Amino acid sequence: MSLFSNMSAEEISYLLDEHGIKHGPVVDSTRNLYERKLKEAMAKRKQAKPSPDKTFYREEEEEVTYVYRTPTKSENFMESRPYMRSKTAEELEHSASYSGYSRSSEYRGRDYDELSHKLPVGPKTAPIRSGQDAPKAPKSPRLIPLWVQFLCFLAVAVFLYFVFSSMESSEPLKVIE
Amino acid sequence: MSTTSQKHRDFVGEPMGDKPVIALSGIGETLGKKLEEQGFDKAFVVLGQFLLLKKDTEMFTDWLKDATGANSRQAGSCAQCLKEWCDAFL
Repeated sequence: MSLFSNMSAEEISYLLDEHGIKHGPVVDSTRNLYERKLKEAMAKRKQAKPSPDKTFYREEEEEVTYVYRTPTKSENFMESRPYMRSKTAEELEHSASYSGYSRSSEYRGRDYDELSHKLPVGPKTAPIRSGQDAPKAPKSPRLIPLWVQFLCFLAVAVFLYFVFSSMESSEPLKVIE
Repeated sequence: MSTTSQKHRDFVGEPMGDKPVIALSGIGETLGKKLEEQGFDKAFVVLGQFLLLKKDTEMFTDWLKDATGANSRQAGSCAQCLKEWCDAFL
């Protein structure tokens, strides 16, 4: 109370505005009530001080999830993947040339089922071919859903829009005719 | 406030004129005396306070509780009857 008792009515009404308290004129009969309301509002604001920290944490969490999401969607990640795969392909070739066929077959067996299908092609040419196919194999299951989904969605949306617009344009014409 | 007292209906039913504060719904002799001590000797003075608080029943209820020590039911009843009077006559 001592905080506000020295304040002018204008200062109190300004503080009330700042705290979002609807108020009328600050006069003798209303001053006590408004001072009490201000006190309560300030106490609430002090209690609510930890909450901004919580919101900060939430924002940080959102940023973190955003960082996690972006690489899956961005093309940089897609571009980096083939490099990784090409390295493994080179390793495959090296391992095939150095340690022989049995080892490379183990590699292929671990990596992809498609490679195992190409096993019977040839014992020495197979690892090279499979190494070339290896970068394509991880590409296709990731690229197809992304691009095809986008294209399908766009195509359906455009198609529906055209149907809708043609229906709108044709009906008034019939009415006019 | 689904059911209103006879006092409430009497007050809301006509202009308040020079009615004393105890004519207000929810204000008995004890609260009326406390109000008169603070200068609210007529019902229209209390109405003035209600209007100063911009007809905000919550604010007025808080003020009445603070000023006279009225309980929530008494203060709410008084605020309600002043609000209805304003709706009818202001």
